[in-house]
Amino acid sequence: MKVEQVSKRIHQHQVLKDITFDIKPGNIVGIIGRNGAGKTTLLRTLVGILDPSHGDVKIDGKSIYKHPETKQDVIFVPDSSEALKSYSTKELVKLYKAVYPRFEEKYFNDLMDRFSLPPTKKIGNYSKGMKALFSLVVAFSTKARYIILDEPTDGLDVIVKRRVLKILVEEVALSDVSVIISSHRLDELEFMANDIIMIKDGKVDSHYELDEMKSMYKKVQVVFSQYMPKEIESQVNILNQTGRVYTIIIPNESTGVEAAIKNENPLLFEELTMSLEDVFVAKLGGEEFVS
Amino acid sequence: MFHKALWIQNYKQSKMLIWILTIIFVIHLPFQTMIAIENWREYPHFYSATEYDIYRLFIGGSLPFFVLIATAILAGLLIGIERNTRRNDFTFSLPFKRGDMYLAKWIYGALSISVIHTVTFFTAYLILFTSEYAYRLQWFSLTELFLTPLIGYVLFFSFAMFIGTIAGEMISQVVLTFIFAIFPFGLFVLLGYGFDLHFRFNWEPPEWILYAAPLLFPFLNQQDQSLVNPLLVALPWTIATLAIGYFLYQRNKVEHNGEFLLFKQLQPVFLVGIVVCFALLGGMLISAIVPWGMTDLQVIAYWIGFLVFALFSYLLSRRLLSMNVTVKNK
Repeated sequence: MKVEQVSKRIHQHQVLKDITFDIKPGNIVGIIGRNGAGKTTLLRTLVGILDPSHGDVKIDGKSIYKHPETKQDVIFVPDSSEALKSYSTKELVKLYKAVYPRFEEKYFNDLMDRFSLPPTKKIGNYSKGMKALFSLVVAFSTKARYIILDEPTDGLDVIVKRRVLKILVEEVALSDVSVIISSHRLDELEFMANDIIMIKDGKVDSHYELDEMKSMYKKVQVVFSQYMPKEIESQVNILNQTGRVYTIIIPNESTGVEAAIKNENPLLFEELTMSLEDVFVAKLGGEEFVS
Repeated sequence: MFHKALWIQNYKQSKMLIWILTIIFVIHLPFQTMIAIENWREYPHFYSATEYDIYRLFIGGSLPFFVLIATAILAGLLIGIERNTRRNDFTFSLPFKRGDMYLAKWIYGALSISVIHTVTFFTAYLILFTSEYAYRLQWFSLTELFLTPLIGYVLFFSFAMFIGTIAGEMISQVVLTFIFAIFPFGLFVLLGYGFDLHFRFNWEPPEWILYAAPLLFPFLNQQDQSLVNPLLVALPWTIATLAIGYFLYQRNKVEHNGEFLLFKQLQPVFLVGIVVCFALLGGMLISAIVPWGMTDLQVIAYWIGFLVFALFSYLLSRRLLSMNVTVKNK
């Protein structure tokens, strides 16, 4: 799937600007960004719900807007199952079989058993966790090549969340399906995603493989004899400060920030393990982050 | 347009209304026919054999109006309600062309109305045909009794679907359907009243106005009309509404779902239109309070009503045009 210079204006407001990226088979791609950064708009544009003001989304070189039949390879799982709440499991299987020719009913039933989901006369009767699991079971049963998930674990309890993550990782490992997830659970994305796309003000701020992204920064705990000098403070992200003890994120060695800190002869300079959340803070800034 | 999935989806979201429509038609045609025959037998002198009795049985009466209400809601359930909920996201994410989706909805609705009307009509026709009043059927042709109302219902449905492609949600779709379905006639009445009051110029509505109003079409008694065969007007009207709806549905901006109008370019036109029509209506209502004959006072009252209604309709329609009615539950 290729996303080519997608822009979208809504109500005189430029929500997406020139978004370009590729999605390779068998990858789990995390889309992260602060509230209102345009993540959901991007996902809705990727499946043709919204028409882009500019740009295109192509699968195997064919535009999904001009050739909507290519969307047999894409399934969108929104953060709510409102649209299908009046269907029974049986009706929904019938509907999906008619939409996605590769839908595997046997596989669907196996997954339903595996995740202890009973058939129901109304999807709306399922609990929130069951709805989330069910949406994923249906999505993977369609055998679509691209599964697009909007905040799949939002509002779920820990147990259900684990099951949702389990099904995601297992399914991707078993087949060549690509999963595109927008999530504010950075710890979960860290555990699953190989690729991270950061959206800032409607633009792709960065698109890296997770390890590469982490290697761009260092998280360190540093203690100065006095307070941190102003010229250093302007070049680092301070995650936490207790007296003269700072937990900070600094760009990697090539920028010279680390050398500048060491020149100040700190009492302690200790490198800590970097998490995706730390990269998020470094890249997108602010303490009250993520949507 | 013949994708099985779209048919399953359309039936699922509208099946209750299809049944309601069936019940209305059953009451309107076979049931009413049986009652009418009983009445004719019971009171042969009271119901003198006039053509109007047959007209009222198959075309007139209040039940066709309920058919039209149900038809507008059917179109609302096929298009408008999708915009109030997340269903539109689901539909537009499916691997089908938007044009095919629109045609599937149109054909599904038009076919349902046609089948229900045909079956119930011929049941009623057969009941009458096998009775001692069969001779009364000869007063009208099948085109007049069967085809004209049928095309009228299909035209009204097609019109309601077309309105669905410019309205942002179900309630505005149904309301706008009724307003625009009577608009040419209604505007004529409003303007005519103003002219009459100010210039004593009585303006009779021309006959073509009736043909231009899809709401009046199913009630036309063809034998009263002299201009042209109504079918010659209804068919191009139906094709035009289908074609414009098909064109607009493909250009629908889903991001405006839940708002009064989908196309923001239309907003100023609607604002002016709503204010002018309500002002004319206000003038008409307030001047009607003044006793007949006091013309000067009537004219003053007309302008007070005009201005008051213009002001309030302006304030209300500004809110109306910026509202958003979307159900966003998880």
